[in-house]
Amino acid sequence: MASTQLTDEELFSELKHFGFTPGPVTENTRPVYLKKLKKLRDEQQQRGSRAGKTRSTGAIHSPSGGGNTAGPRPASHDVTHLSSSRRPGRKSSVLGFSSDESDAETPVNRKGRQADRSPGFPQHPKIRPTTPSVANKSQYGATLNSTNSSPGPGRQRGVSLGWGVRARSSPEAEGKDYDESGDEDDYEGEIEKNSRSLNGCGASHLNTSKLAGDYSDSDEEEVRGPGVGDLQQERLVPNVRRSHPKAEFAFHVVGRGSQTGGAARQVNPPEGLNMVGNRREEGEGGKGKRRDSDTPGGLRSHTVSPRKTIYVSLAENHGGEAGKNNHVDGEDGAYRSSRFAIGLRPRFSNYSSLSQTYRSNHSNHTAPNHSYSQAVLKQKLSVPEDELLQQFKREEVASSGSFSAHYLSMFLLTAACLFFLLLGLMYLRMRGSGSSEVDEVIKSHPFGSEFDELYNKTEKDLILKLLLNLHDHLAQVAGQYDCGDQQHLNRSLSMAEASTYLRSQNQDFDGFIETSLEWIIRTGQDVGIRLTGQVADEPLTDVSEISRLESSHPKMPFTCRFRRAFFTVISRVSLIAVVVGCVWSVVCYMKFRWRREEEDTRQMYDMVERIIDVLRSHSEACQENQDLQPYLPIPHVRDSLVQPQDRKKMKKIWERAEKFLAANESRIRKETQRIGGADFLVWRWIQPSLSCDKTSSMNSKVWQGKAFPLDRRNSPPNSLTPCLKIRNMFDPIMEVGENWDLAIHEAILEKCNDNDGIVHIAVDKNSREGCVYVKCLSAEHSGRAFKALHGSWFDGKLVTVKYLRLDRYHQRFPQAQGSSTPLKASSPPLSTTGTMNTVPHLQHRGAGNSSGFS
Amino acid sequence: MSSTSQKHKDFVAEPMGEKPVNALAGIGEVLGKRLEEKGFDKAYVVLGQFLVLKKDEELFRDWLKDTCSANTKQQGDCFGCLKEWCDAFL
Repeated sequence: MASTQLTDEELFSELKHFGFTPGPVTENTRPVYLKKLKKLRDEQQQRGSRAGKTRSTGAIHSPSGGGNTAGPRPASHDVTHLSSSRRPGRKSSVLGFSSDESDAETPVNRKGRQADRSPGFPQHPKIRPTTPSVANKSQYGATLNSTNSSPGPGRQRGVSLGWGVRARSSPEAEGKDYDESGDEDDYEGEIEKNSRSLNGCGASHLNTSKLAGDYSDSDEEEVRGPGVGDLQQERLVPNVRRSHPKAEFAFHVVGRGSQTGGAARQVNPPEGLNMVGNRREEGEGGKGKRRDSDTPGGLRSHTVSPRKTIYVSLAENHGGEAGKNNHVDGEDGAYRSSRFAIGLRPRFSNYSSLSQTYRSNHSNHTAPNHSYSQAVLKQKLSVPEDELLQQFKREEVASSGSFSAHYLSMFLLTAACLFFLLLGLMYLRMRGSGSSEVDEVIKSHPFGSEFDELYNKTEKDLILKLLLNLHDHLAQVAGQYDCGDQQHLNRSLSMAEASTYLRSQNQDFDGFIETSLEWIIRTGQDVGIRLTGQVADEPLTDVSEISRLESSHPKMPFTCRFRRAFFTVISRVSLIAVVVGCVWSVVCYMKFRWRREEEDTRQMYDMVERIIDVLRSHSEACQENQDLQPYLPIPHVRDSLVQPQDRKKMKKIWERAEKFLAANESRIRKETQRIGGADFLVWRWIQPSLSCDKTSSMNSKVWQGKAFPLDRRNSPPNSLTPCLKIRNMFDPIMEVGENWDLAIHEAILEKCNDNDGIVHIAVDKNSREGCVYVKCLSAEHSGRAFKALHGSWFDGKLVTVKYLRLDRYHQRFPQAQGSSTPLKASSPPLSTTGTMNTVPHLQHRGAGNSSGFS
Repeated sequence: MSSTSQKHKDFVAEPMGEKPVNALAGIGEVLGKRLEEKGFDKAYVVLGQFLVLKKDEELFRDWLKDTCSANTKQQGDCFGCLKEWCDAFL
């Protein structure tokens, strides 16, 4: 572990740095303190990253990071806050690192680094993640610092910083077993993945992070493989160490980014730079491990830049991951990419996977630090918006699936509605048109076979056509009439009108009018024409009686039908609704009334109880104080129980209560008394008071027996000192009364009445533990007292005794020094065993009621 | 009764003297053996460690866990036992 590089003194000072004063760091305590240090660093990182909301990402990161050494990477999430917070966070993350750098540099560098990093962090230059990361790293190995310091001055601004860090990381990386190679591996993988996953948002990240996870320490060089990143990496690696082609790199990275980014490269060069820089920082800050991979990481970030969200999360994750070196690679990469792409969205912690992928990048991306600072700044500014936007984006993506489902359901619903609507309309139309019916008439008539026989074809047709015409006309008339068209005053046509009409239709009809009507009469079926005679409701037998014709199948225009149907439906529905409403309102009303009644009754009972209480207490008071009258006027009772503002409201309840009392309460008697010259109805409490139920229910302080037998195991074999500290004899909060401590005194003396050696008792009234201090004449006496008291139950509490040093006792109670006369129980010593005499009036005299059985 | 075990009570009732590490509450045979292997063969050595850690609960627990893989309950018992002993006799 890198921590082994930390000497004891360093560990000690680090712990002190956190405000925690450790004990000596010895061989045995070292691991414990290391853990503590790590935890403190984590906390600090979290605290720092929390500001940037990187926490979640960090958290997510870590798990995915898995194998990666967490290192200081988590610290880097929070770019904006990172600088200062990272530093401490770095420490923990460094744990995983094996720092190459010599330890000697660490403390100095670290401190210095942190110093100049923290102030500057929020700003661009400050952002240089490398510094913080370096600092963190150096915590353990001090290498970080050294590396940081070296590039430090140059790095301050972005590129240089990144490079410096990278340089640092490179040497460190070599030394370290972690992720150097892993970073590179991851880096490359990530690059590829990034390009691939541009649209994928995270899946790739996950992959990359995994990659990062299993990077092996050995392969530093492996990473150079994949195209885009490789080139950069190579360039970076040799250059990283203290090289200053940072600007170049950044540009390259940007360029690469564009290449790799392909699709939605959101990264614009400056952003890219920033990202790179950011990455760096993250890498540095967070894990500090892989410097080398920073470059690739930067590249990766480029590619990933389109994924703003990812970057954001990366950033966040980075921050969150503080303690996990494992995640370094992934986080670095992710972080960088997130920073990169986002430029404006520094933190999206949700993309832990992203961060993981970037982790490897992270370690390598010392180079792009320059852009980092810028990016960080931008990120800071736009974090909230970006996060929001990203969230929305994600939501959109997420909701696409559900979206279609939603649409589908809506579509089905509308289709069903349309279908039913169509059906209804068709029905109406069908009803309205009697065409088929009409046609039918011609083909088949209801007149029977006789008709066919009597007339020949043409005549038949004529007759039928006549009837048809008549039918239609009548239907029209009726329909028009029904639809409110007042053209025809009557729904039916008179005979003359019908004849006129028919004649106008066809001259040939003339002769057949009466015949057809005759046939209509003859047939019993309803042909759609109704014939009425002079006298209504009488069946017609002869054509001559026909006076009016009416259609029983009115033909109405479609709209009219529809309208009528609509109105019918509406009216019916409203009728039903009204009925239902009525019923429901009745039910509600009933419920309401019922509830009111309940409430009233309850209040009444409540009032009754209060009256009883008042009366009872009054009567008791009367017993004690003979000056009072044993009855109370009713109005007075009422006015004392009911607030003035409620009096009106409670009037009814009061009266009910009164009635109830009169009827059901036997202990209260209503009588009339003259008070002050006026007659009052009074209540008198007539129950003889119970004796001393109050006092007897009070808790009396008694010794209640022994809990365990005292033997060698639970008590000292011999009494050590003459002073005892007795615990758990009382609870200062619960004690009431003036002299309960005296009661305690008495109780103790009672218990130890066979022991004449108690010279001083002091009750510590304020102690939560219920401590009582006792001094005896000698150790022997105290031993006896010990045996008597230790493990006994007193007042429901288990008493424990222990010995106190004499000088301490005297320190505490100087007055005890001079006391040498044995104390005695003030009340006549009641034997503590076996007596059951309870003296009621000695309520608080525990001794009085001792019923302890030893 | 309090929630401490008999072992705890026994330990806390008197100065530990040369009691073996098994006498500590929470430390049974297995843990005791592990501690002894690490060099903590007497209760007072563990006490020493406890004091070196400044009687800090968390640190002591961590140490116990690291040293002999004590579980949470055992850690708590041991810590409580030593703490009380210190309160009583130190």
